[in-house]
Amino acid sequence: MTRQPAIRLTGLTKKFGTLTAVNDVHLTIQPGEVVALLGPNGAGKSTTIDLLLGLARPTDGSAELFGEDPRHAIVTGRVGAMLQGGALLPTTTVRESIALIHALHKHPLSVEEAMERAGVADLAKQKIASLSGGQMQRARFAVAVVSNPDLLILDEPTAAMDVAARHSFWASMREFTDRGKTVVFATHYLDEADTFADRIVIMSQGRIIADGTPSEVKSVVTGRTVSFTLDSADAASLQRLVGVTHLEQRGNRIILQSEDSDATLRALLAGYPSATDIEIVPRNMDDAFMALTGPSTSSGTEKTGASK
Amino acid sequence: MNIRYFGLEMSRQLRNARSLIFTFAVPVAMLLIFGSTYGAQYDSAAHLQWIIVTTVQMGAYGAMMAALAQAFTIVNERSVGWNRQLRITPLSGTGYMITKVSSALAVGLLSIIVVFAVSILALHAHLPVQGWIMAGLGLWVGIIPFALIAILIGQFAKPSFAQPLFMVTFLGLAMLGGLWVPLDILPTWVGNVAQAAPSYWLNKLGQMGAGLTGNIGTPTIVLGAWSLVLAALITWRYRRDSARA
Repeated sequence: MTRQPAIRLTGLTKKFGTLTAVNDVHLTIQPGEVVALLGPNGAGKSTTIDLLLGLARPTDGSAELFGEDPRHAIVTGRVGAMLQGGALLPTTTVRESIALIHALHKHPLSVEEAMERAGVADLAKQKIASLSGGQMQRARFAVAVVSNPDLLILDEPTAAMDVAARHSFWASMREFTDRGKTVVFATHYLDEADTFADRIVIMSQGRIIADGTPSEVKSVVTGRTVSFTLDSADAASLQRLVGVTHLEQRGNRIILQSEDSDATLRALLAGYPSATDIEIVPRNMDDAFMALTGPSTSSGTEKTGASK
Repeated sequence: MNIRYFGLEMSRQLRNARSLIFTFAVPVAMLLIFGSTYGAQYDSAAHLQWIIVTTVQMGAYGAMMAALAQAFTIVNERSVGWNRQLRITPLSGTGYMITKVSSALAVGLLSIIVVFAVSILALHAHLPVQGWIMAGLGLWVGIIPFALIAILIGQFAKPSFAQPLFMVTFLGLAMLGGLWVPLDILPTWVGNVAQAAPSYWLNKLGQMGAGLTGNIGTPTIVLGAWSLVLAALITWRYRRDSARA
């Protein structure tokens, strides 16, 4: 039996009236990959997830999981998911909720094992309604893994979690991926995508606008930011300093983007000795994200790295 | 169909049934009032004692209410997102429907038993054992379309809209079924419309069971037709109901 990709989206399109929520998305994810799906609100992430699980019908194109119809992957328990707007019954306990879903699957983990993996064993007898945001997400994670899936789809799994809860959540996720399983997660937290995923897919306005490793995506914005305070600055001549690619002025604060911050700094100090409060910081995932999804940039359609 | 899921779901429903005490109390109270007032008289139209007619009426009323009340459970489950969770399990649309109808039948049966027990023990109503069994069975099977109506309301209604929709449906069906006041004191056209109402035939089916007489062909056809149409609507709706709210 040939190894099928965990996910294959081909020309996937979903229109709601005149709005095109997902626009001709092509995406192949191999077993074992951990992929972050990034994008601003309304980028089409959640709709894409609905489509790839077969919860919504595509207007055009198709979604396959393990080479078959998504419903087949669900029925055979190969895919588990934490969805937006999907929740557990407030009046049941954590154990009862998991047991209900457990009973529907053919070859599930035991309820105990699922609770163990999600770190909710100590919450077994608690009512769902009494859980904190972070505990609730972990209970939902237990429900998502109880079918013993090969693929996990998580839509903003760490929303409503505090820092400690996020930390322990990703720890249990790492155990899951260490077994060679596939994870696709949508998130707003760029640092999560950066540290956890080995591939980042960025969506904007229903399209995939970047697809690559975290370092490839970050390389969209190379160089560093050099900022300083300078009275009566001449923007035009500052722009001509060595290595400068972009200049921004906020009052008497100047923010330069530079491809060669060392050279820019030397030229700056030589030409403008009165510059004070100088800071040099590397550009980060946020900058890459803004550069790729920002409405004003024409580079928004730029593709990086490993996009098929 | 999955037996273990079915069992868990049923026990969950029956624990909720404690909150349905009120549902059981209303038909019992009405039975005690009307039953003790006119009990011994004979209803020439139904060929049954008044006490039996009232017992069947109230049994139908309680069972119908129990079945229709499933709508609230479903609306709540849907609004918290449980149905979305179920959609990513192997549970099929048909499986979902069967589970929900069974839950309604379980609560409905409880209501029928309570009403019959009160009638026998407190009002000394008398029927042959087969009469009670057939009357109960008729009412019990007859609430299937009402369970389906509840599922449909549960699927369509927003939480804020479920209560008025339930009330209108419930009151309308109770009236058309002649479960409150005899249909012959209402205008003729109401009686004519009632011929198409499932509640009318639910009541009739109960009476036929109690009297061990009559042709159950018509009620079976009417209730069966309602069930088929409703089931088709539900299955159609379930396939479309997966998108985010």
